[in-house]
Amino acid sequence: MLAPVLVGVSIFCFLLIRVLPGDPVLAIVPETATPEDIERTRARYGLDRPLPEQYGAYMAGVIRGDFGDSIRTGRPVVEQIGERLPRTLELVALGFLLSLGASIVLGLFAALHAGRLGDHVSRVTALVANSLPEFWLGLVLILVFFAILDIAPGPTGRIATGIDYEIITGSLIVDSIFTGNPRALVSALHHLVLPVLTLAVIVVAPMMRSVRASALEVMRSDSYRCALAHGLGAKTLLFGYVLRETMVRVPVLAALVLGNLIGGSVLVETVFSWQGFGQWALRGLLLRDYPVIQAYVLVTASFYVVAFLVADIVQAALDPRIRV
Amino acid sequence: MNDPLLKMRGVHVSLPLRDGAVAALNDVSLTVGPGEVLGLVGESGGGKSMLARAVAGLLPDGASLSGALDVDGRNIMESAEEDLTLHRGGGAAMCFQNPRSALSPTRRVGRQLVDRLVRWRGMAPDAAWPAARERLAEVGIREPERRLRAFPHELSGGMCQRVMIALALACKPRILLADEPTTGLDPTLTKDILGLFRDAAEREGCAVIIISHDVASIAAACDRIAVLYAGTLVEDGPARAVVDAPLHPYTRSLVAAVPHIDGRLSIPLAGSMPRLGAPPAACPFADRCVLVEERCRNELPDFAAMADGRAVRCFHAGEVGSSVATETAAHHGVAGGDGAPIVELVDVEVRYASQFGRRGPRTLRGVSMTLAPRETLGVVGESGCGKSTLARVIMGLVRPTAGKAVVGGVDYRKAGRGDIRRLRRDIQMVFQDPVDSLNPRMTVERNVRDPLRNAREPLADIDERIDRVLGQMGLGSEFRRLRPHRLSGGQAQRVALARALVVEPRVIVFDEPTSALDVTVQAQILDLLRDLMAHGTRSYVFVSHDLATVRGLCDRVAVLYLGRIVEQGPADEVLMRPRHPYTRALVDAVPTLSGRRTAAATRLKRDLDEAWEAAGCALEPRCPHAEAACGEPQTLRDLTPGHQVACWKAEHISAEALND
Repeated sequence: MLAPVLVGVSIFCFLLIRVLPGDPVLAIVPETATPEDIERTRARYGLDRPLPEQYGAYMAGVIRGDFGDSIRTGRPVVEQIGERLPRTLELVALGFLLSLGASIVLGLFAALHAGRLGDHVSRVTALVANSLPEFWLGLVLILVFFAILDIAPGPTGRIATGIDYEIITGSLIVDSIFTGNPRALVSALHHLVLPVLTLAVIVVAPMMRSVRASALEVMRSDSYRCALAHGLGAKTLLFGYVLRETMVRVPVLAALVLGNLIGGSVLVETVFSWQGFGQWALRGLLLRDYPVIQAYVLVTASFYVVAFLVADIVQAALDPRIRV
Repeated sequence: MNDPLLKMRGVHVSLPLRDGAVAALNDVSLTVGPGEVLGLVGESGGGKSMLARAVAGLLPDGASLSGALDVDGRNIMESAEEDLTLHRGGGAAMCFQNPRSALSPTRRVGRQLVDRLVRWRGMAPDAAWPAARERLAEVGIREPERRLRAFPHELSGGMCQRVMIALALACKPRILLADEPTTGLDPTLTKDILGLFRDAAEREGCAVIIISHDVASIAAACDRIAVLYAGTLVEDGPARAVVDAPLHPYTRSLVAAVPHIDGRLSIPLAGSMPRLGAPPAACPFADRCVLVEERCRNELPDFAAMADGRAVRCFHAGEVGSSVATETAAHHGVAGGDGAPIVELVDVEVRYASQFGRRGPRTLRGVSMTLAPRETLGVVGESGCGKSTLARVIMGLVRPTAGKAVVGGVDYRKAGRGDIRRLRRDIQMVFQDPVDSLNPRMTVERNVRDPLRNAREPLADIDERIDRVLGQMGLGSEFRRLRPHRLSGGQAQRVALARALVVEPRVIVFDEPTSALDVTVQAQILDLLRDLMAHGTRSYVFVSHDLATVRGLCDRVAVLYLGRIVEQGPADEVLMRPRHPYTRALVDAVPTLSGRRTAAATRLKRDLDEAWEAAGCALEPRCPHAEAACGEPQTLRDLTPGHQVACWKAEHISAEALND
């Protein structure tokens, strides 16, 4: 599943970025460069060769785990991904888990109070949150919690300056726990609060709506009516007869949301100076840094595939009718 | 007598719908005592389910209820919502229609049972598990230990119904309600399931209400029968008396609509039930009644008590004696058998591929049969015996994995796309669920027109042909523009029939065409089919588990058991003098209105899903007559010309039965 998707995506992306106007070589050579200089640079990156050959050489590298060197910085792309991807994953994973938890609780709450005040309030709130631009929401949160209340750190990165820490995986939480560094851990968590909140608020609405719709469907089903007619208690009904059946329908949408988050975190990263994967890719895109863009697209695509695979497994675990 | 557990006095229920209110129950008065089993019968829409929901405290939002409804001496209509939660389950527990969807799909059966035991019998969760196992055993589930851990989708339909009953009984209800508990089950299972309700009434001392549209199927299990028509109780009395000598013309029609295994024809009741906006001021049945007179249209008769604990709401109660028409099927013998067979199956075997491409169990094994022009062949057997697969093989929808299937001169093994398309003109199918088998987005006209387009018919007379077949099915041109969801089940099945007829096929295959319909509607459809079969030159295959219907319609019968034909021959022969123990068991399980049972009724020892693959005779594990010699494989042999049976003991068993 993964392999054909990635091959297709890589060909498509490879062709598309070369069709786009703009030339990475012109972006890096000095203004005084002669046409010969330009050609030399072009040849250095192999950009003068025919497209199929370029693609073949690129894919041969990818299979060996070599995504080429960035045209702009000259550093190996793999190295940069290793540095930046964990930062973004940390942010996205926490944002996703928070919004998943919130949407389950809110969705069930809304379904249980369907048509009543609580239902309307939670739905409208989620919808409003969903329609806010994430950079704006990020700025407002910074304004309120940093500039006015001063209980959150400013948008200056992932950790307070002056704290020593050791990098192993690239995720500050994991690393500081491994190295037993409570100061770094606290500071990292502190810095995570606002960006995670921003991401979570943005995506909670669609998931919550899906949980609510799913729960309502369950509560209209024969099986729920039967449990109700046999007079089971409210707790048994909720945890035994509604929760699991409701969750059966959630993983697919959750995977979609998760996939979107990894690609969509660029703005939040920018607002909070996160120096993450998305920001790196955006800069690469603006300068037509081909290897960077290709690597970004491939990583994001694999992320989607893995997310949907996990969703299928989770769904099979939740629904006894599905056999893997 | 003990105080009644359920006491209804003048209960009215009205439902506000978008297009006006509906008077769902009108002045219903009913009592059911402890240990008593009441059968509640009538056509769909007559208020049976609404009565059950009123008793269970489950009326839909906005429904208004008036009158007195006492359960165990407590008026539940004045109960607050908290008291109602105590009433639901402990006061009245419902066995829902279609148990497979009423069991929670993501919770193990055992857990669902334990939930109820903990809630209603005050058991600790640990102690409830052994109790749950016993309760499953009580409702006739073998290997209860294993089934406790099963999810509902892993159980057969019959087992789901047993679990449903166990769930309802676990609530320790004063009143047990069952909504169409046996609809869709084959006769052998129906008998067992109804027996469970009897047991429950006796063992637990609760009152039992069984709802059904088919008075014949439940009569034997009931003490009393009450008949609802348009939300109005029209008759109530001891079961035997109501069935043998119905007092109300409606009850008489219901009884007459039931097809009979002895070949007596079912008599359809014309018209349909009115939908009342307000409690009726006149007899609601007047428009369909043969005894109607001026008074019936102006006054509502009282629900008058008669002798022997009976009550009836009719000015003419009992005026026409209990004589129901006794016309018997007359069309037998029309069948030709002349000419080459139009369908010929030789040693057909079907295996459905299981997941991962492995070959699954064989659904059909070595089935050989022929269908002559103008012949009607009935295919009978329990659910899961391969009847529908056989129908699909004949249709070319399933390719045999071995053997030969030739239809209309086309061998499916060698047929190309073009051959199959031409064959679609010659052979058509009518499915069990009429509404599902029509395209919901298309009007009735488009639905009927489609097979013509596929058959590449000339366009000229298409409109007339559509009009003609719809007319033939008793549908006026006003139906042409409707979409299927606006049709009743009976109307939809007529459209499905019209669609099959419009290309003028040589063979029509029916897969349980009436088992999803009310008895009265079923009788109307059967009437249409009988007309078709008597006058046409067509052949029919009629797949059904309803032996009485098959007896009334078919010339020949093939009995399928686990993918094999175990007996086949003339319908009269096979169904009146069955020779194979399996056929005998099927015939003996058919509910009869008279309740007559031969002393030596054959009862199979296990449910179908508990039978195992036997090396010899497939029925051996379930057969009451099995002995050592049954370990040999059995093949069909001629008993008399045209009557074949796959049992070496057939003659002995018949002799034994005669001696008893």
